[in-house]
Amino acid sequence: MTTEISVIHLLDVATGEGVEGELRDAIEQAQLNDWQREWQPALLAVLQDLARRGVPIGQWPQSWHWDWGKKTARVQGLLAFRGFSVVAQGVTQGLAQIDLTKAGREPSQAGKPLVYLDYIEVAPWNRPELGRPPRLRGVGSALLTAAVALSDEEGFKGRIGLHSLPQADAFYARIGMTDLGQDAAYQNLRYFEMTAARAQAFLGQE
Amino acid sequence: MKLERSKDWWLNRARREGDAVIGAGLLAFDPAPEERSATAPAEDSRIAFGKFVNLMRRRRGLSMEQLADAAEVDASELLVIEDDVHHRPEPRTIYRLAQTFEVSQRRLMQLAGLTAANDVGLRQEAVRFAARSESVQKLTSEESAALEAFVAVLSEQEPKRVK
Amino acid sequence: MTAKRTMTLNLTDAEMRALDDLSVRKDITKTAVLRQALRLYQTIEARVEKGDKLLFENDATKEKAELMFL
Repeated sequence: MTTEISVIHLLDVATGEGVEGELRDAIEQAQLNDWQREWQPALLAVLQDLARRGVPIGQWPQSWHWDWGKKTARVQGLLAFRGFSVVAQGVTQGLAQIDLTKAGREPSQAGKPLVYLDYIEVAPWNRPELGRPPRLRGVGSALLTAAVALSDEEGFKGRIGLHSLPQADAFYARIGMTDLGQDAAYQNLRYFEMTAARAQAFLGQE
Repeated sequence: MKLERSKDWWLNRARREGDAVIGAGLLAFDPAPEERSATAPAEDSRIAFGKFVNLMRRRRGLSMEQLADAAEVDASELLVIEDDVHHRPEPRTIYRLAQTFEVSQRRLMQLAGLTAANDVGLRQEAVRFAARSESVQKLTSEESAALEAFVAVLSEQEPKRVK
Repeated sequence: MTAKRTMTLNLTDAEMRALDDLSVRKDITKTAVLRQALRLYQTIEARVEKGDKLLFENDATKEKAELMFL
């Protein structure tokens, strides 16, 4: 399968200018390399800084411990799993992995297939919660847009679901996703779903 | 899949995002270490474990990243091991560190609190070691001595195994 | 959109009814039902190949039934 590339625009926080980027409908070797060589050292630098400042580990950013390489290897060649990546300024800015085997829980769409966001992560230098001004804004939104658009294209009418990181709960609520509460089977992360009706509004809105 | 939206459409999305955090997925979530260690942590020996890793690394003149490379472990886990007494390291990490530092894996597991130490000896040694070593940039002769003595404890008290 | 190819399917009336029924229940097109079926079948096959078992568990009785593949 060849990777399709959509041109997108991100916001350079320092200059307030738009930056052209690519939304790619795959996670490829180049992304895994970037994760290893660019993301990991950047994250380590942040963690060392937090440790030096004596910030308790409970307040450290989430997702400092994942391994994208392992995750993508596990689902290699399976139709049910898809990836997206955002590339700009020559480096991977965000990654998402999608599972197409899950079904809705929200009453109006219970049991109906949806796009489940298995993982989303934005590059450490774009993450405001790490205590430094983020470089690019819009990476996470672009990945979510891709998920909703994929759901639409697959005939799932834009339905998506995800288990939110606690620090991200507010954002999903703000874009109109339904909060279905803490999920005991997923370490009490809150489960959010976007309904078909909400998805159409999300994809439109020029 | 191809998306076609105007530049303004994307930039509006980016602006609306503000300083929101966006992340999802169970594997993205690192539970607070307090929750991770449900069993009572043997804190004094774990302090010694963190110091031990720190001193051994510095004695070899390695940065955290270099040690992570050499031992094939996650650099972020080393950071937590050295700095956070509540952290319960992965057994694989202990195994790799024991190999790298050439000390007994069983002892190191006990020190890290992953297995129960059934002798008070190691515990006392660990407390003594932790008390004698202070975390500073350069290894003092005091620290070197403490480290040497502790390495001996970690290496020699392992019952001889028949290969 | 990724290029797609068309194929003709020969289904019995009963199979066609099942497809229609799933399409309504799941709120997806008949093509989407078949594509979803293919994804699920392939995923299960990959897990079984790895040595995993496919089990159904009744939430109320906790009774387990193994679904055999291959």
